[in-house]
Amino acid sequence: MLEIKNLHVQLEEEDKQILKGVDLKVEAGKVHAIMGPNGSGKSTLSYVLSGRDGYEVTEGSATLDGEDLLEMEPEERAAAGVFLAFQYPVEIPGVGNMTFLRTAVNAQRKARGEEELSAADFLKLVREKAKSLKIDADMLKRPVNVGFSGGEKKRNEILQMAMLEPKMCILDETDSGLDVDAMKLVSEGVNALRDEGRGFLVITHYQRLLDHIKPDVVHIMADGRIVKSGGPELALEVENNGYSDILAEVN
Amino acid sequence: MALPQAKQTATEERLASLTMPDPGCTKAARQGALARVREMGLPSRRDEYWKYTRPDTLVSADAPKAAIFESGEPMVFNDVDRLQIVFVDGVFDAEASDDLSLEGVKIDRLEDICCKDIHWAKDLYGKLEERGQTPVQRPLAALNTAFATDGVAIHVTGKPSKPINLVYRHESEDSDAILHHVIRVESDAEATILEAGPAASRFNKCMEIDIADNGTLHHVRAQGRDHERRAVTHMFTRLGQESTYKSFTLTANGVLTRNEQVVELTGDDAVAHVAGACVGDGDFHHDDTVFVTHDAVNCESRQVFKKVLRNGATGVFQGKILVKEGAQKTDGYQISQSLLLDDDSQFLAKPELEIYADDVACSHGSTSGAIDETALFYLRSRGVPTKDATNMLTLAFLAEAVDEIEDETLAEEIVTRLEGWLSRHS
Amino acid sequence: MAALDQTQVKEGVDQETVDAVREVSTYKYGWETEIEMEYAPKGVNPDIVRLISEKNEEPEWMTEWRLSAFERWTKMEEPKWAMVNYPEIDFQDQYYYARPKSMEEKPKSLDEVDPKLLATYEKLGIPLKEQMILAGVEGAEDMPAEGRKVAVDAVFDSVSVGTTFQAELKKAGVIFCSISEAIKEHPELVKKYLGTVVPVSDNFYATLNSAVFSDGSFVYIPPGVRCPMELSTYFRINAENTGQFERTLIIADKGSYVSYLEGCTAPQRDTAQLHAAVVEIIVEEDAEVKYSTVQNWFPGDENGKGGIYNFVTKRADCRGDRSKVMWTQVETGSAVTWKYPSCILRGEESQGEFYSIAIANNYQQADTGTKMVHLGKNTKSRIVSKGISAGKAQNTYRGLVSMHPKAKDSRNYTQCDSLLIGDKCGAHTVPYIEVKNNSSRVEHEATTSKVDDDQLFYCRQRGMDEEEAVALVVNGFCKDVLQALPMEFAMEAQQLVAISLEGSVG
Repeated sequence: MLEIKNLHVQLEEEDKQILKGVDLKVEAGKVHAIMGPNGSGKSTLSYVLSGRDGYEVTEGSATLDGEDLLEMEPEERAAAGVFLAFQYPVEIPGVGNMTFLRTAVNAQRKARGEEELSAADFLKLVREKAKSLKIDADMLKRPVNVGFSGGEKKRNEILQMAMLEPKMCILDETDSGLDVDAMKLVSEGVNALRDEGRGFLVITHYQRLLDHIKPDVVHIMADGRIVKSGGPELALEVENNGYSDILAEVN
Repeated sequence: MALPQAKQTATEERLASLTMPDPGCTKAARQGALARVREMGLPSRRDEYWKYTRPDTLVSADAPKAAIFESGEPMVFNDVDRLQIVFVDGVFDAEASDDLSLEGVKIDRLEDICCKDIHWAKDLYGKLEERGQTPVQRPLAALNTAFATDGVAIHVTGKPSKPINLVYRHESEDSDAILHHVIRVESDAEATILEAGPAASRFNKCMEIDIADNGTLHHVRAQGRDHERRAVTHMFTRLGQESTYKSFTLTANGVLTRNEQVVELTGDDAVAHVAGACVGDGDFHHDDTVFVTHDAVNCESRQVFKKVLRNGATGVFQGKILVKEGAQKTDGYQISQSLLLDDDSQFLAKPELEIYADDVACSHGSTSGAIDETALFYLRSRGVPTKDATNMLTLAFLAEAVDEIEDETLAEEIVTRLEGWLSRHS
Repeated sequence: MAALDQTQVKEGVDQETVDAVREVSTYKYGWETEIEMEYAPKGVNPDIVRLISEKNEEPEWMTEWRLSAFERWTKMEEPKWAMVNYPEIDFQDQYYYARPKSMEEKPKSLDEVDPKLLATYEKLGIPLKEQMILAGVEGAEDMPAEGRKVAVDAVFDSVSVGTTFQAELKKAGVIFCSISEAIKEHPELVKKYLGTVVPVSDNFYATLNSAVFSDGSFVYIPPGVRCPMELSTYFRINAENTGQFERTLIIADKGSYVSYLEGCTAPQRDTAQLHAAVVEIIVEEDAEVKYSTVQNWFPGDENGKGGIYNFVTKRADCRGDRSKVMWTQVETGSAVTWKYPSCILRGEESQGEFYSIAIANNYQQADTGTKMVHLGKNTKSRIVSKGISAGKAQNTYRGLVSMHPKAKDSRNYTQCDSLLIGDKCGAHTVPYIEVKNNSSRVEHEATTSKVDDDQLFYCRQRGMDEEEAVALVVNGFCKDVLQALPMEFAMEAQQLVAISLEGSVG
C-alpha cells in the first residue's frame, strides 16, 4: 500500500540532509514499527509523508496505492487516506473540537465525492467513538487541544483517526508523554482500527508501546536510513541492549 | 503647507533668542536643521504628538527659572569606576572632568569637531535626527542640531575598560542648555554610557547613536532630581546587523520631562531594549515617547516602562512599534504600566502598533491601577508596617524595568536611588 | 456556546440563510435593483435640506434643527486622522435624497407591489410576510407570522420602506417605526432625545447627517418592558451616486431591554458611494440595549474599485444607574470604514461592552474601534477587538478608554488582537488610555501575529483545503466576538468571515 523508494530529504532552510535513502513498504493489514535513536529522521519521515512545509525531497518517491504522494497537497493526501497522529498535536484556540472534526470529516467526504454526514449522524458517530476512548462531552466541546493534558491530546488524535477512517495511519511517537493507563487506552483505540485494509506505521522510541500494539515488522532507523528490519523480536533486542549494538553491527 | 500663524510666531520668537555657534564642519547639518525647524514649526499643544504634554515652557524664548536642589546625597554612579565628562549648566568643565583618553574609545568635544574640516562625526551629526523626523516630526531635536553649544563625540572602536559618564551639573537658576552628543560604536566594539544629573534649568539634549554590525552599547541614565527643572531629550539610535542596544532611564521628579527615543533596527538580527522607571510626586509631568522601527529581518525590540505617581503627578507614555514591509520574524514587545498611589495622579498612554509584515509576533500591554490591596494586607499581616510594605510593592512593580540593566552594579545604584526616593516621599 | 449546540441550531433555525450565504463565492449582495427612483437634485445646500424636510412632512422645529446643522457643517473640515486613504469626496456630486417611486401610493396587495422591490427583499433574505409589510401591502400586519419573530425596518436608499410587526409591538408599548414617522407621531420623544447623545456639531459626518438624514429607525421601549422580539433594520443603498444618511434613535426607558440587529448591503458598483449614519442610544436606569451589526456594504472589487465609504457615528449614553449597553459588530464590507461605536458610562455601575470583528481584504481599509468614557462610579467596560487583514488591506483598531476623576472604582479590560494573512497588508493598533483616578483599574492587551502555520498544517492533514483551514482558524480567532452575537447573526457572520477571506490565501 505505502511504498517508499530511496527517499532523500533535506531541510529547505539549511543545507542539511535528514533522510538519506529510505526504502520501506507497508502492506495493507500490517503494522510496521520504526524505531531509532533521536535525530535519526523518524519524525521527518512522518512529516514528509503528510506534506508539511520546510522539507525538500531531493531524490526518491513515496506512493500510496501507486499514487504519488509527494505531488499532493496535505489535504489531498489526507483525502487519499494518509493520517498522521502528531507527536505534538496543535492547539487551535476558539475552534470547537466538534466543529473541527465535522469540518474535517466532511471535507474528506467531499473530496472523495461522498455525501456529507448529516449533523445527527455525525453526532451519533462521534459520541460512539468518543465513548470507547473515554472522551467526555466536555472534551468535545472545548477548543481543539487547548488546555488538554498530554494524554487527552493523544486520545483526541486517535478519535480523529477513528472518525476519518484512513487507509494509512502514521503514529508519530504517540506514546510520548503518556502514563501506563493512557497508553493502554490509546493502544486499544489503535488496535480497534486494525483491519485487513488498513496499514500502520508506528514511530516510537521505546519498545513499550509495541507491547500494546503488536507490530508485524520492526525497522531500525539510523542517520536517515533504515538499517535493519525484522520481526517483533527486533524491538525486544533494542529494549534489552539499546541501539548501540545494532548500530555497531550494521556499521 | 504654511504653518499656522501662531505657530510661526512662536517659532520665530524662539529662534530669535538663539545664536548659532561657529559651526565649522557641522555647518551644513546645522543649517539643514534650522530649515527643518522653520518648516515644521516648534510644537504646540494642538499637535497630536503633544496631546498629553504641554510643550509651552520647552518652546518659549526664555527658560523658566529653576531653583537648585541640594539633596545632600552623593551623585549617582559615584561608586562606579568610570570616566567622567562634566558639564556645568551645559558647558564642558575640563577641570572637573577626567582625562578623556581611554583605550578603545576616542572622545572629542563638539567644539573641536566644529573647528576641523574632516571628522568622522561630521557624517553623523544631525543625520539620525533628520531620519527621525519621519513619520513623526520632532522639531525640538532639529532645534538642538542647529543650535547645540556643546557636547561630545564618542567613537568606540574597542571595549573600553570602564563606563563613560556624562555628568550634568545644574548651578545657575536660569541656565538654558542645549547639548548634542554623537556616538559611533564600531563593529565588535562595546561600551557603556552613563548619564546623570539635572543639567540646567531647561535642558534640551540630543544624542545620536550609530551602532555598526555586531556592536553593543549599554546606556543607563538618571535624570536629576531638581524639582523645577525641565528637560526635553531625544535619543536617535540606528542599529546594524546583530548589534545590541540597551537603554534604561530613571527619572525622579523634575517639573517637566519629555524623553523621546527613536530606535531604528536596520540590520538583521539586531536587538534593542529601551526601558524606563519614573517616580513622580506632586507637580511632576513625565513623558516617555518611544518610536521603534523594524526595518530588517529577525530583530527583537522590547519597551518596558513603569511609572509610580502620587500627589497629582502625571505620567505619559506614547510608544510605537512600526514593522515595515519585509521586516519578517520581528519580535516586538512593549509594556507600559503605572502605579497610582493616590487619586490625584494620572496616567495617559497611547501604545501603538503599526505593522506591515505578517510573520511577526508583536504585543503590547498597558495597565494602570492602585497598589494591590491583597498583597499589601498579606505583608502587613506578616508584620511589615504599611509604609514599608507599600515601598516594597512599589519597588517590585518597578523591578521589571530595572531588570533591563544588565550590569548588576549599575542596577544596584538605580535601586538605591529608588529606595532613597521612596523613603523621602512616602 | 457549545459546539454541540451549534450543530443542532444549524440544522434548525437558520439553515436557509446559512446555505444561501455559503452558495455565493463573491459579494452576495452585489446585485442592483432597477426600480424607478425619485431623486432630489445633486448636491447639498439649504434648499436641499428644506426639500428633504418637506418630503418627510416635518414640523418647523425639525427643519430648523437641520438647517442649523447644515450651517455648522459648512464651517467644518473633513477629519484626516484615521489611517485611511481615499480620493477627495465631492460632497456636491452626490444625491442626498432618493426614494422608490412605488412608495408614493400604498399598494393593496402583493401583486401591486413593484416586483423588483420584492425581489430585493427576497435577496436580502427577508421572510415573505415581512416582505409584504415592507412593501406596504395593506393588511399584511394582521397575517400570522411563520417561525421566529424579528421585527424588521428596511431602509432603501434614503427612505424607510416599512416596518413589520408594528401592531404586536404596540401591544407591548414598544414604538418601532421609521424616524420620519416618529418625528410626526412622537415629536415629544424625538425632541427630547434627538441630538442629545451625538450633538449636532459632534463631527463632520455626524453634522452632515444631522442636516440631510432622510430616514432611519426609531425605537422606544417603555419602562419595565422587555421587547418581545428582536428588532432589526436592513439598510440598503441601491441608487447610484447616492449618499445614504440614516439616523437611528433608540431609547430604552427604565428597566427595559431590547436587542437590535442591523444589516447592511449595497450593490456592486465601480464608483464609490458615501454612507454617513448616526446612531444614538439612550439607556436609562436598569435598562439594557444590545446592538448588533453585520456590516456587509460592497467592499469594492479585488482591485479596489468602487465600494462604500462608511463614515458612521454610533454612541450610547448610559444615563441611568446600572444601565448597560453592548455593541457587537462584524465589519466585513465597505471600501473605507470609519466607525467607533462608543459608550458614555454616566450612571453609577453602568456597563459598556464592545465586541468587534473587522475583516479587511483586497484594498479595503478599516479604521474602527470604540470609546469608553467612564464618568460614573463603579462603571465597567470591556473591549474585545479582532482585526483580520488580508490582501493589500489596512486594518486599524483605534480606541479610547477614559477614566474620569469621579469614576471611582471602575474597571476596563481591553483585548485587541490582529491577524495578518499575507505580507502585503497592514494591522495597526492605536489605543488611547487616560486614567485620572487610582481606584480604577485599566488593562489593555494587544497582540499581532500571522495565521499559525502549524494550525493550518494540522487542519490540512485532516483533509481541509487551505481556504477552509484559514476560515476555520480565523473563526476560532474571532470566537469571543461571535459568541456575543444573537444566534442567527452568529451563523451568518461565521459564513461571512469565510467569504470575506476568499482569495486571501494561495
